[in-house]
Amino acid sequence: MLELYPETLIPVEWHSSGFTPGGSDFDIPAYSTRAALYNVGGIPHTQWNGTESTVGGFPNGNWQAFIGDFTNIYNGMVGNDTPYEIEINGYAGNTVNYDVTVSMDSDMSNSNQKVDIFLVEDNIWSYWSGASSYHNARNVAREWLASENMTINTSGQNETFSGSFNYNDNWNSDSLQIIAIVQNYSTKQVYQASIVNINDMDPDIDDDGILNNLDNCLESWNPGQEDEDGDLIGDVCDPCNNLVFSLGNSNGDTDVDGNPLVDIMDVLTLADYLAFDVQDNICQEPTLNINQDNHINIVDVINLVQQILNGG
Amino acid sequence: MKFCSIIILFSFSFGQSLDQLDLNLKKLNSVLETASRSSQKVFVDDFTGLL
Repeated sequence: MLELYPETLIPVEWHSSGFTPGGSDFDIPAYSTRAALYNVGGIPHTQWNGTESTVGGFPNGNWQAFIGDFTNIYNGMVGNDTPYEIEINGYAGNTVNYDVTVSMDSDMSNSNQKVDIFLVEDNIWSYWSGASSYHNARNVAREWLASENMTINTSGQNETFSGSFNYNDNWNSDSLQIIAIVQNYSTKQVYQASIVNINDMDPDIDDDGILNNLDNCLESWNPGQEDEDGDLIGDVCDPCNNLVFSLGNSNGDTDVDGNPLVDIMDVLTLADYLAFDVQDNICQEPTLNINQDNHINIVDVINLVQQILNGG
Repeated sequence: MKFCSIIILFSFSFGQSLDQLDLNLKKLNSVLETASRSSQKVFVDDFTGLL
């Protein structure tokens, strides 16, 4: 099926110690964790986008008998609308560094939503004693690199998950691929997947001469890496200048010299937030926790009023 | 009076045309937004080795 749908079908091949080519190193500890997610018992078992499974069959490895069922499941899933897009970039040097960026074009709750990142090796020619034949093993799982909670949930947001790994002498580096998925761990549904050969990753996606893992604006050209407020987010992509949206200055206004202006208007803004859950802009909320106790409440109003009366 | 009636009738007709144009533009916008939505790939956890 991979030959039929190379762009839209992304498998990871998991091997238990009892079902793997003789003398191979295909069985990895992560198999048990991944199999437990779906209560995998008997082999063979395929799990499609986390929600549909085919179990059993394949006498003498005759999986071709199931191509019709597989194709029906695939056709029912491919091309469906999803709020997520996944990009995988990075650099394959002595160590492989990767950046998986998930972006959203519509809203979806992030409750139980995770990003899983796998390392696979494609096209491993191996002998299967059970089928008495050689087989080209595709996308054999080599490492489960990461499983991270997603924090974004709104159209227009994006989030990047970065990491690295070292090569193993047993792997063919030309065939290594990184697969990233967005999966809900409550429903098990997979909402999106992406795959890239490690040698095809873009190490500098905005072409500003700064490698992705060192760039403070991943997708905005900023060779100077200017960061006026020192929050490690470059000025060209930083929606909030923390020098302006400082503690108490919730409306972001400044005096003639450009200094933050904390006054009665900020008290009103804080009151609106508490009373009506009104937020005028995305930079506002961190400025409202006046006493820095991680709770925004009436105590912060009192503290802000005192701050203003004291001339601060 | 007749002149006022004509003016009112003309304004009403013209207003309806604008409403229809606005409705069509909104429909077109919705279609374009839907068309640009991300398209899902199919991910398979293959516990077989034979896909």
